[in-house]
Amino acid sequence: MNRLQKWVNGNWSVPVVSGVLIIISFAVQRLAGGAANLTVSPQWWLDAGAHATHASAVFTLADVFMLAAAVVAGYGIVVKAVRALLSRVIGIDLLVSVAAIGAVIIGNFWEAAAVTFLFAIGHALEAATLNKTRSALAELVAVAPDFAVVLRDGEQLEVPAGQVRMGEIVLVKNGAKVPVDGQVVAGTGAIDEASITGESIPVEKVKSDQVFAGTASRGGFLQVMATGIGADTTLARIIHRVEEAQDAKAKTQAFIDRFSRWYTPAVMVLALAAGLISRDVVLALTLLVIGCPGALVISIPVAIVAGIGRAARNGILIKGGEYLETSAKITAVAVDKTGTLTEGRPQLTDIVVLDPALNRTEVLRWAAAAEAGSEHPLARPILDTARAEGVAPEGIPGTVTPVPGKGIVSDVGGQQVLIGNPPLLDQYGVHDDSDAAQASESLASAGKTPMIVAVDGTAIGVVAVADQIRQDAPEMVARLHDAGVEKVVMLTGDTRLVAEAIGKATGIDEIHASLLPEDKLDVVAQLQREGHVIAMVGDGVNDAPALATANIGVAMGAAGSAVAVETADIALMGDNLLKLPESIGLAKRTVAVMRQNITIALITVVVLLAGVFAGGVTMSVGMLVHEASVLVVIANAMRLTRNDKHSTAMPKSQRTRIKERETAGEAVDAA
Amino acid sequence: MTASTHTPTHTVLRAEGFSCPSCVAKIEKQVGRLKGVESVKVRFASARIEVDHDAERVSVDDLVAAVAKAGYKATPTAF
Repeated sequence: MNRLQKWVNGNWSVPVVSGVLIIISFAVQRLAGGAANLTVSPQWWLDAGAHATHASAVFTLADVFMLAAAVVAGYGIVVKAVRALLSRVIGIDLLVSVAAIGAVIIGNFWEAAAVTFLFAIGHALEAATLNKTRSALAELVAVAPDFAVVLRDGEQLEVPAGQVRMGEIVLVKNGAKVPVDGQVVAGTGAIDEASITGESIPVEKVKSDQVFAGTASRGGFLQVMATGIGADTTLARIIHRVEEAQDAKAKTQAFIDRFSRWYTPAVMVLALAAGLISRDVVLALTLLVIGCPGALVISIPVAIVAGIGRAARNGILIKGGEYLETSAKITAVAVDKTGTLTEGRPQLTDIVVLDPALNRTEVLRWAAAAEAGSEHPLARPILDTARAEGVAPEGIPGTVTPVPGKGIVSDVGGQQVLIGNPPLLDQYGVHDDSDAAQASESLASAGKTPMIVAVDGTAIGVVAVADQIRQDAPEMVARLHDAGVEKVVMLTGDTRLVAEAIGKATGIDEIHASLLPEDKLDVVAQLQREGHVIAMVGDGVNDAPALATANIGVAMGAAGSAVAVETADIALMGDNLLKLPESIGLAKRTVAVMRQNITIALITVVVLLAGVFAGGVTMSVGMLVHEASVLVVIANAMRLTRNDKHSTAMPKSQRTRIKERETAGEAVDAA
Repeated sequence: MTASTHTPTHTVLRAEGFSCPSCVAKIEKQVGRLKGVESVKVRFASARIEVDHDAERVSVDDLVAAVAKAGYKATPTAF
């Protein structure tokens, strides 16, 4: 296609030509005191009686140009209107066509030209600005990798990213894009994962770490084994999810659709009735113009597209408009303690010596020896510390018998070692004369998990492990409160004492401790009965039922899990806790924009209707206000494509440049 | 994506410049006219065009050209 053809087919050719013709028409009227305004023919249009706006009863040269302007701008509109009618749709094009043709019939050439010209220019502007609301998605698509360097038969070979084979080794050099989802098999490197997780700080990758297609190397050299290619990459899944979400209709949208379906025909009937009763053709035609439900129809989709797109750029995937609306109403957030508030990796924090004949290291040695053959998660921190202090057990571990809910019994070189809680000691008849229970109590009240170590029926000491509180956890809770969440609730299987210590440190409002997985669902349901709209945050594995019951299920660190990306109502791609309050804030802003847009659209309709009946609103003024309202609605939605102060997204300047951008496709989010 | 003579190829194009729901009908008509196109679905909000077509008779480039004729720029995508 050559440039001229492109321009003719583009959005701007029609309004430009039409506008020029309008200017020529005015020039002809004004020039040389109207001397240039030759008479072409006598009047051929119908008289509009009292409302005639045409000065003379002749068809002049100026009229010819004005009529031409109307025809240029109106031709496409009429074609569209006929097409819509054929598929039984009464749309805005039909209203404008009827109004413009009517205006021509009664000799109002200026009105006809103005209405069609404004409509055409409004449309061209809408096309350009609407593209900007979709900019976030365009950027996501743009980060998709094109080429990959693979190792085949020991040779480095450049192939299109989609043609890498599963299990092949791909090389990721400094500055290059990661072409596939995969696992690092050799090398180290810093990877910028902003395109996936919205985090701007590069992540250090070492052997057996996961990397994602569309992320970029900021240093180092990685060999990656491909585990996902093309449509089977996390990036592709994100793009799909965002598109599905943007196409999904919100509840409010359904209402608006119903409204506009009867609104347009109703206005046509009203116009006809008004025209018949008042015998005023101009009034009827003006009513037709303002009957266009433009801003109403578009007000919600633009907000949703912009809001969901913005969220996606920040590593937050929201399933659709409906979920945005629900998220904006969230009053309570339930978080699973492990992995959300705490690291999920217990550390050994205390070793209390009870037997005066022993020292700290010896207690640790006994504990480590007993735990050597244990599979229990609490064994790891003990063994890690023993290894670090050089007292790790050697040789083959003895037999370990787990006692569920109490601890373990282990045989170490013929001696019986117990590690567990006071009930375990009771069960094995160990007499507690060295305050082991008291020591474990005080450790537990500090939020730690104590384990009494007893050798051959004597308690020798107490070791305690604790899960580390995540650095961002208190900040997350505070920001959730700022975002309007009344209650942040912690759910955990831990004992109440442990849970309370963590709750205190993070500012949690309500604690539900000692829960079995199935209890979590009951807590969520209970909160809903209290009238809360609740979001549940979890990893999606143990909390699946609770996540499904909650009004909004949020998956953390979803980038590594295809299932989470596909199913969570909100998937936070990264593992950044602060994304949770950010997503609620974004949902609220988006819903606010939706409401503002509907209000703008409705007020426009009411004001115009009142203006027509009160007089003063002509056809062209009506069209001007109408098109302006559409543009205001789009501009309002575009505010969402910019980040607010709480965002953790990266500045625009560092983003991948979009290839071959048209001016209309320029991305607009501010740095 | 593999194309055989029996199963239609599913192609997704991403377009620019969608401004109103009326663009949808315009594109669906232009693309639907092509011989070898079995179905075409235009998604307005995300500006996607999904086409099921017989790749033997109508290529992806033909689809892009048809969309261009309707006045929109579209690019095929891998997913």
